Amino acid sequence: MLGRRILQFFLIFALGLFGLMGVKYGLGLSDYVIPGPGEIITTSRAVAHDYFFDTLNTLMVAVIGQAISIFMAFFVGITARKSTWAGTLIKAAAYNIQAYPIVAVAPIIFILLGDGFTSRLLIAAMICYFPLLLSVIGIMAEPVTDMEHFYIATGRMRWQLEVKIRAFENIGKLTTVIAGSSTLAMAGTIVAEFIAANQGIGHSIRIALYQSDLSRILTALFLIGLFLSIYQEILEGVGKRLTSGWILPKGVESEDL
Amino acid sequence: MGLTCQHLEYRYPRSEEWVFRDLSFCLDRPGFHSLFGPSGVGKTSLARVIAGEINGFSGTLDRGEINTVLYTYNQERLPGWAPIERHLDRITPEGREDLREHLIEIFGLVPVMGQTFSQLSLGQQNRINLLRYLLQDFQLMIMDESLANVDERSKETILLEIKELFPDRYFLYISHNLIEVARFCDRILLFRGIGKSPQSLTFTGLDTRKTNQPGRDALDAVLLEIMNAG
Repeated sequence: MLGRRILQFFLIFALGLFGLMGVKYGLGLSDYVIPGPGEIITTSRAVAHDYFFDTLNTLMVAVIGQAISIFMAFFVGITARKSTWAGTLIKAAAYNIQAYPIVAVAPIIFILLGDGFTSRLLIAAMICYFPLLLSVIGIMAEPVTDMEHFYIATGRMRWQLEVKIRAFENIGKLTTVIAGSSTLAMAGTIVAEFIAANQGIGHSIRIALYQSDLSRILTALFLIGLFLSIYQEILEGVGKRLTSGWILPKGVESEDL
Repeated sequence: MGLTCQHLEYRYPRSEEWVFRDLSFCLDRPGFHSLFGPSGVGKTSLARVIAGEINGFSGTLDRGEINTVLYTYNQERLPGWAPIERHLDRITPEGREDLREHLIEIFGLVPVMGQTFSQLSLGQQNRINLLRYLLQDFQLMIMDESLANVDERSKETILLEIKELFPDRYFLYISHNLIEVARFCDRILLFRGIGKSPQSLTFTGLDTRKTNQPGRDALDAVLLEIMNAG
């Protein structure tokens, strides 16, 4: 059975395609501007194999970039949760840096690191990192007073316990933010490939754009959407499993654990 | 000597309104005492001042022989990632396992040990919360509505047992139930609010124990005295 995300993607893509055809036939545009359904299918068949592996390549970079940014966001978010001077400094820096469009820095990264894997990874991680960091800082800096009071009053509070309580209380928010950040990681990778890389689906889109080949671009968009939906479906599934594994369902006795 | 407060004054930062002013009282002996009064007169704020959770007050607060103060309130929660039993296991100091088992039984919590906190009723949640505090080191425990939502019979059993188990400790019981306060408490500190002078008055309650159950007339007399003063 298709997952919710994948089904939503198919519906939206189909609607978009119908809309495009509506514009083509409504305005009487030529096949050069918007190709007909026959040409789209023929081109898709021709490039599907290459684009499939290009998208896989992009997704792989996005996944690694997202993993790095999740690790970094939690590391910095946990460090910055306290109202110390270091925490305040990190929070202020994070808020200010995230206000700057990271994509604008991408050319510098390509100049310094070349157009290989590292540049794509770095840009994907940076684009994904700051929104994730703001969410993690927001969650980690907010005390769960009703739960933490006992441990503070009795001298049992440790930073690990504090982080565990805050993560536990906001597990739904955290999994949603992580699943949502996958889109940012994918977008970051594609943008990086679009700017200067020599691999990935972004690179293929750039070539198709130079050729004004909308059929190829539509095929690429279909594969990007499909791969991203599957990836988000997996992330949400893992999030649900984590949540249900952590929070005991009603009626479960300790002996059952 | 126990807890002595003289001319205590407090208002929240950036607030013009005093929570309490010129408040003086003394708890000169261990026992089960009460902070009583209508909502909003500053009972919780005073409790948190005594517990050291609020600073920035003026006046004198002398804790005397009391080194460890614990403040517990009725909205506290236990994390939901483990059953109650496992939480209690982890927070029980060494050598107090028997006390824990005894309290679990007296508090009527044996059947819920395998459940998580969110699966319990409000009364059960409050009992579990109080129980874990009673297992810790303390000389003074402030119980801020700690037995809210607990049925009368269970409440009586719990209060009488606490008084028997901890005769040498200080308790400050915050409740809005006048009968309960008059029956079980020794000293009753009546908070009358910022507009009245004196702001607080001290009464002697019936201090009911398992071995000392005063009659109805005595209770009526205490209730009348407090109600007239309030």
